Amino acid sequence: MNSTPRTLGSRSIFPYVFGGLFLLVLADSWRRAEVDPGIFFEAEGREHLWRFVTGMYPPELSWDFLELMVRPTLETIQISVMGTLIAVLIGFPLGLLATSTFSFQGILHESEYRGFGPRHAFKVCLYGLARGLLSLFRCIPEFVWAFMFVRAVGLGPFPGVLAIGVAYGGMLGKVYSEIFESVNERPLEAIQSTGAGRLQIFFYGWFPQVLPNITSYTLYRWECAVRTSAILGLVGAGGIGQQIEISIRMFNFHEVTTLLIILFSLVAGADYVSAKVRSLL
Amino acid sequence: MKPAQQYHLDGVRKVFGRGQVALEGFDLKVARGERVALIGPSGAGKTTLFRMLNCTIRPTSGHLRIGGQEVADLYGRSLREMRRRIGTIYQQHNLVPRLRVLHNVLSGRLGSWSLLGSLASLARPSQLETAHRALTDVGIGEKLFSRTDELSGGQQQRVAIARVLVQDPDVILADEPVSSVDPSLAETIIKLLIAISDDTRKTLLVNLHSTDLALSYFPRVIGMKAGVKLFDTATSRVTPELLQELYSGHAPVNGAGEPYREPEHRRTAV
Ligand SMILES: Nc1ncnc2c1ncn2[C@@H]1O[C@H](COP(=O)(O)OP(=O)(O)O)[C@@H](O)[C@H]1O
Ligand SMILES: [Mg+2]
Repeated sequence: MNSTPRTLGSRSIFPYVFGGLFLLVLADSWRRAEVDPGIFFEAEGREHLWRFVTGMYPPELSWDFLELMVRPTLETIQISVMGTLIAVLIGFPLGLLATSTFSFQGILHESEYRGFGPRHAFKVCLYGLARGLLSLFRCIPEFVWAFMFVRAVGLGPFPGVLAIGVAYGGMLGKVYSEIFESVNERPLEAIQSTGAGRLQIFFYGWFPQVLPNITSYTLYRWECAVRTSAILGLVGAGGIGQQIEISIRMFNFHEVTTLLIILFSLVAGADYVSAKVRSLL
Repeated sequence: MKPAQQYHLDGVRKVFGRGQVALEGFDLKVARGERVALIGPSGAGKTTLFRMLNCTIRPTSGHLRIGGQEVADLYGRSLREMRRRIGTIYQQHNLVPRLRVLHNVLSGRLGSWSLLGSLASLARPSQLETAHRALTDVGIGEKLFSRTDELSGGQQQRVAIARVLVQDPDVILADEPVSSVDPSLAETIIKLLIAISDDTRKTLLVNLHSTDLALSYFPRVIGMKAGVKLFDTATSRVTPELLQELYSGHAPVNGAGEPYREPEHRRTAV
């Protein structure tokens, strides 16, 4: 009874401390990021902006240009699809190994090992290795991956595919493993008790439970990949992005507008397709 | 040890995590083909015992022998082979909800199938006939292609029984198989289990919270309470005093998050 106001009192200091810290960080970021709304009000700044915006209108719609853009557009789609496919091929097995309930603990391992034998240690290492690789893959931005792959395999769509494959593989694997961890373990226990091996348990008990979540997250990532593949083009990894970069460098802002419209349609299209597929699940 | 002995437990003890003693000094002998009912309040350790009997968890100490084999010596392939010979029906069915009924039934075959064979069966079911026959035996043959989560609780329990049928084990363990179905269906399911074990001379162990079913259908009854065996005797020797003692006393210790319908007599006792 007596302790209620005391705990309230001692707890109430933290919001102020964190609130204060947050304001400090915000103020510091504002200064360091050189945020300057004044630029919108100065005559010179306004003029620059105006020239840029009017320069983008109208979009370039000449037949010659559009015809030239067909290939990069298809290339962007191909990069996103192939990249996502590679990401799944990387993310799925690594994500599975990075699932502790699959790799080394929980009901599927209760009976296997007594204490910590060398086999158990090996499993834990494998789990740690998978987690480490996944972190590495997704901590390096896809932009940086693309840069490195362009150096390694040259300009074109292939480095874009590799960059998306590796970076998204890391993200997919992480989220896959979280989805895998969240399954209901009771059916797994039941399937194990029929004498099934670990992979059989996975495909009969685990996979059906997680399939809808896995599919919808993968589709979401594919949507992101369409957008990302455009950004990667800026460093020379093919597709629409590379065209945007060329047009900006040549001050052809009309073309940039057209390309942005194409990109927008692609992303909207991907969104539509994945929503359709998800509704089938 | 004569292999006629299906189970032989000697001083089995199970301690969970932070010193939670679930089973203490447990001795048990079950002969091949025997039919035994286990009764006792929630938290008595019945589920824990069954999970040891089907080699899901290991005793913390003591000896557990199945068919003369020391379970502590089994691992990997030999452990899976032992599991294959023990079929379990769980309180909550433990089926995979999104899988079609036939695959849930055929998952009883996994212990005998190769990995590739079992993957292929997901695309193009092998032994469809076996699955259909098992489902027909439990009375829901027409549900072969239904999605499992579309079935009622009682039907799902039958699917779980069909899974054990296609597994064709030496022992059937049923952990409170009737706790989620209405009383008339409960009796039907118990009769079904007995018929199955009779036909194929399988050993049958059933956990029940209904003493009535235990006393009317099983020749041998074991009473468990707070992790120890209170009595283990022929049904004819079970007295109202024994039952009184079994269900009297302390407040229920709830099992690992299991929903548990308290029997009538327990509520009055507390
Ligand atoms: N996985 C577990 N971790 C910790 N304690 C457990 C676990 N499983 C069961 N127990 C404990 O063991 C005791 C017996 O539980 P259980 O075997 O489920 O009893 P019953 O099936 O007779 O209701 C309970 O006190 C329960 O809390
Ligand atoms: Mg129980």
